[in-house]
Amino acid sequence: MKEFELFVGPQHVGVTGNMMYHLWVDGDTVVKAETHVGYLHRGFEKLMERRSWLMNVALIPRICVPEPDVNEAVYAMAVESLMDWEIPERAKYIRAMVLELARLSAHLLAISGYAGTIGLYTIPQWLIGDRDYILDLFEQLTGARVYHIYIFPGGVRWDLPNGFLRKLEKVLNYLESRFKLYDDLLFQNKIFFDRAPDVGVIPKEKAIEWGVTGPNLRACGYAYDVRKVDPYAAYPDLDFEIPHYPKFGDFEVLGHGCDCYSRMVVRRLEMEQSIRILRQIIKKIPDGPHTLKLPNPLAWKVPAGYAYARVESSKGEYGYLVISDGGKMPYRVHVRGPSYTHGINVIEKIAPGLNIADFAQTAFSLDVCPPDIER
Amino acid sequence: MNAVGIFKELGIEYEEMKVKGNKDPRYRAKVDPEKLEDIILKFKNNGFRHFVALSCVDWIKEGNMELIYHLFSYDNLEDVFLSIYLPRDQPKYKSLRHLFPQIETYEREIHEMFGVEFEGNDRLGEFILEDWEDMPPMRKDFDTEKYAKEKYGSVPLVEEGGEKE
Repeated sequence: MKEFELFVGPQHVGVTGNMMYHLWVDGDTVVKAETHVGYLHRGFEKLMERRSWLMNVALIPRICVPEPDVNEAVYAMAVESLMDWEIPERAKYIRAMVLELARLSAHLLAISGYAGTIGLYTIPQWLIGDRDYILDLFEQLTGARVYHIYIFPGGVRWDLPNGFLRKLEKVLNYLESRFKLYDDLLFQNKIFFDRAPDVGVIPKEKAIEWGVTGPNLRACGYAYDVRKVDPYAAYPDLDFEIPHYPKFGDFEVLGHGCDCYSRMVVRRLEMEQSIRILRQIIKKIPDGPHTLKLPNPLAWKVPAGYAYARVESSKGEYGYLVISDGGKMPYRVHVRGPSYTHGINVIEKIAPGLNIADFAQTAFSLDVCPPDIER
Repeated sequence: MNAVGIFKELGIEYEEMKVKGNKDPRYRAKVDPEKLEDIILKFKNNGFRHFVALSCVDWIKEGNMELIYHLFSYDNLEDVFLSIYLPRDQPKYKSLRHLFPQIETYEREIHEMFGVEFEGNDRLGEFILEDWEDMPPMRKDFDTEKYAKEKYGSVPLVEEGGEKE
């Protein structure tokens, strides 16, 4: 017997949350990998079938901890589809603002985790600290730091507080001034140049068929982003680019795409685009109501039918299939999380051949969030 | 070819779903389980290369299990939802994991949560749940309260957030 078995997780610095990778290893090389999940299963989809349409708003942000707002947005969009509600313009802009702030904070977490796996521990300390300024903004806007329960079917729960946009501008200026430091520490670091290119490669021609989405797909050279291919909120009015391999601007193009290097550089460039989007929102946000005049939310009856809504989360396509039978509660909700494919069939296929030391950085570069796998 | 063209060529009736928020059209069609594989292949060869999700719905009153195969085309920017209905008492279908590899994972979950058998998938077994002996928990007739009472001897008190009996 040449192989030995290695368990990475469920509590281990090399996993992206409470999940486990079961590896079979020959010497230093991974020969087979299997993902085991279930440590975070809380039965959200079942719970949603037994709560009213309104009560679910407070439940669903918990499906993805690093970026909870996408859940609120897709749920609201699906309910609006069934109800045939067109939300006010101002609400669309506020939603785009919340989703971009969530993307920024999730990317800061993803880059932190990734840097840790290649031994650059200063990055996590600084980026988690910087992320707190975004959480401060959320606290001022919604009263909560992590689970905001702010985006609501029909609009958002309340309007922006006084002076919020000024404070947002300050935080954006601060974050932008920090990018140079992130680059010195990670993105222009020799360790990153030596270790990340051509590691953990997803075959480009298979990427779409394997269900790869989000930054991981763009790192393969496809400029696909739900904000462009199936636009929502205020994104059709906003001007931004889709960073993808090999259009890396000032960053060197190392490796051949679809690798850890491209995936992380794409995330770094997306943060710049998020700031660009947020600055446009500050300038263009229209006056008007922040929500529709809603009927009594305790007695909502949503017309029977099927609706699917999707957004671009920091990890990829995030969608809800919501089915109503005309009652006071959803009949069935199916959550399509991006990690479902990245964390199971993609990593199981690309892990064989990796060095053990590269396994953690590959897993982190895919930015897997286990709670959206098992819900 | 776009989705409407394919549906017309195959002679399948379809309906358009309501969309607010997103912009792309979504089409839903009920298809014959026997023909599903060929239909998915037809869509796949016409640009629908992104398999978004496989969802299962338990229609307990009608006695059906609905499986929804959801495809998206980056070329035409359209969504297609293909539904098949299986009898609820012994739901059984063939595995389609050779078409898109992530179907394997969805089949594992649906087997565990709804009890649908997929012939040809050798990884059906424990996936998310552990030591589960009761009926598949996402089925509509699974009584969570009864399960909690039998398994743990009680349900949460009213003052702890439980409901009145």
